Amino acid sequence: MSLEPTAPASAHLRNVDKFYGDFQALKNVTLDIPPGKVTCLIGPSGSGKSTLLRCINFLEEYDSGEVRIDDRLIGYETPGGRRMSGRRLREMRRDIGMVFQQFNLWPHMTALQNVAEGLERVRGLKRAEATERAREALAKVGLADKEANHPSRLSGGQQQRVAIARAIAMQPRIMLFDEPTSALDPELVGEVLAVMKQLAAEGMTMVVVTHEMGFAAHVADRVVFMERGELVAAGAPREIFQNPADQRLASFLQGYRERNSLDF
Amino acid sequence: MLEMLHRYGPDLLTGFGLTLLTWMLGTAGGLVLGFLLEMARRFGPRFWVGWPIRAYVEFIRGTPFLVQLFVLYYGGPLIGLRLDALPAGVLGLSLYGAAYFTEILRAGFDAVPKGQIEAARAIGLPGRTIVWRIMLPVMMVSALPALVNFAIILTKETVILSMITVPEIMFQTQTMMSETFEFVLPILILALFFWGFVEVISRFGRRLERRFTHYLLEES
Repeated sequence: MSLEPTAPASAHLRNVDKFYGDFQALKNVTLDIPPGKVTCLIGPSGSGKSTLLRCINFLEEYDSGEVRIDDRLIGYETPGGRRMSGRRLREMRRDIGMVFQQFNLWPHMTALQNVAEGLERVRGLKRAEATERAREALAKVGLADKEANHPSRLSGGQQQRVAIARAIAMQPRIMLFDEPTSALDPELVGEVLAVMKQLAAEGMTMVVVTHEMGFAAHVADRVVFMERGELVAAGAPREIFQNPADQRLASFLQGYRERNSLDF
Repeated sequence: MLEMLHRYGPDLLTGFGLTLLTWMLGTAGGLVLGFLLEMARRFGPRFWVGWPIRAYVEFIRGTPFLVQLFVLYYGGPLIGLRLDALPAGVLGLSLYGAAYFTEILRAGFDAVPKGQIEAARAIGLPGRTIVWRIMLPVMMVSALPALVNFAIILTKETVILSMITVPEIMFQTQTMMSETFEFVLPILILALFFWGFVEVISRFGRRLERRFTHYLLEES
């Protein structure tokens, strides 16, 4: 009943810069995230992928440029202007789900409570309603039988699926994944990717920072390659993986293939 | 001996009650004030709030409780703060406890994994909810033993209130000693009283700890 898909949102970055002191983490990045599509961000570590992703929900405060969800600017009242109020920022964040590398479940709450917390305290649902919707979300990620477990009693893959359930229960219009499988044992990666594929098939707007080239090649609609804070190449997976036009992209993929000795 | 107990028993009991009362009020006041100070320091402007709080903490930690109490009780009237012995004692304990409690809370809040707070912000939880629903329960696992420990230390600091004539148990015991010239029995009673008192708090503390850490211990 209640977990109906919502209208997917788009996101738009225009000339975004981000500095950490003297270090420039993002250099004039412009990128459009189309609605209902899967965009994968790839590149070496330290290339700015996660920073870019975190600018989309303003967990990272970009220094100049614009980040918009649909056409609403996030983080600032006007481009380059004052910070937007906490209330308005929270309101925008409700529509943006986020999944972290380290899961970041709240350890003192059961799986069910983790998922229901935002429904009750952000969406304002009644306890019973929140519980019901949380159960639906857990069922969707295949964890209906684990609702009473605390995170310490769940495997990494299960924790990450609870984290995904926590995000989708809020009925976001766009989902951000920050290396969602990088902290997992190899045999647990598949169950998380399966859930993400299912979400993609339902038409969720997804932005995924990943080192899983197989996932990027087969599930992404668009792949974006970054290096040293710059957006170097973007295109359909076929273009990116099979005919890399850019030299840096080609050598990044070459290195990946050599490490993993596989073709895609 | 029985006669002595008969004569001083009621006074000792009253003193005992007053010690309990000052400890409870002082600890509660210290915890509340300590928490407020930590919130102000964490979320307030660093210059106007952070530095004064730090100076306060350093002053309290750097001077004996007896001195602070004298400053409050005898120095207070100079700035129009005229307090009876009991309220001055309770306030003094609270101010003293707050400095230590706020440091324990600071360390506890600092130890909450940043990612868990980011996850809460990403979902749109307001700051106050994040503090109460996420940060406090998570940090209690590490902070509670230290909080209980300091609450126990405070039980024994209450005897200092006898110096400003609060008729708590130390005061009563001293009265008894000076009137009877009997020293061993009164001081033994006093020691036993504190030991029992602290034992009760310890047990209560361990139960609280189990409540906050149950999820780390639960069986599959």
